Amino acid sequence: MTEHRHDHHPRPDSRLALRARALEALLAEKGLVAADAIDAVVELYERDVGPQNGAKVVARAWTDPGFRERLLEDGTKAIAELGFGGAEADNLVAVANTPTVHNVVVCTLCSCYPWPVLGLPPTWYKSPPYRARMVAEPRAVLREFGLELPDEVEIRVWDSSAEVRYLVVPMRPAGTDGLTEEVLSALVTRDCMIGTAVPQAGSP
Amino acid sequence: MSAGAGPRLAEVDAALAGRTALPRDNGELVFEEPWQGRALGMGVVVLERTGASWGEFRRHLAAAIRQRPPEPGDSAASAYYAAWLDALEALLAERGLLP
Repeated sequence: MTEHRHDHHPRPDSRLALRARALEALLAEKGLVAADAIDAVVELYERDVGPQNGAKVVARAWTDPGFRERLLEDGTKAIAELGFGGAEADNLVAVANTPTVHNVVVCTLCSCYPWPVLGLPPTWYKSPPYRARMVAEPRAVLREFGLELPDEVEIRVWDSSAEVRYLVVPMRPAGTDGLTEEVLSALVTRDCMIGTAVPQAGSP
Repeated sequence: MSAGAGPRLAEVDAALAGRTALPRDNGELVFEEPWQGRALGMGVVVLERTGASWGEFRRHLAAAIRQRPPEPGDSAASAYYAAWLDALEALLAERGLLP
């Protein structure tokens, strides 16, 4: 793999983390900033661009066949119907799991990720072992995530880039007939849309 | 994207464009560790509370980036948010809010 200009290796950074915490404590002590005000800002980022946007997209696809069709045809256009989009989703491709095909997303070069629908990428997504091994031995990596796929299921690995971002549309779990879109969206975790997990009817 | 962080973030992006721009990777904000998000959040709240402008913060941030050569092994985002903490402290000190 060629050296990329961005370094995303996770590393302990307790020195700076402690410094940030100390400043925050000082601000609180001086009555300048309450911790919950900072929480609110941080939560806004998470809520506004977290995986729940993607979960709504998937739940809509599960309940509205027309939307599902449009989503698989042109992901960017379809998510715009729900008000989602942005530069990082300019070319969003939705790939659907079926009983015989399981999709999983990686970015071998760095950490390209459909940020507007999934929020901040998890640390492991950016880690060199995941990036390298998901391509070389996807079945083994998925097993480490706790996802055991039958041998007859084909695994398709999608390599993201600056130009194309992928969103996995998992299969709707059995036993969820009659659930509302809102309830269904709660079953769709971030990992389900990366492809390292599948939704469970009883979760989360 | 719904209202909330979006417009705020857009405002921050516009104010800090150039050498002091928020670390991004292919357009995505880079937070390698939670403290970096906390640092950004602290900046947003402190500026709101003190009425300081992003232009004023940018001046401190540019100075902090100049004065703080990245330590060996520090990623770009770590170095940036370390300078961000410097800048926040400098701004508060200048306004007499922190020693």
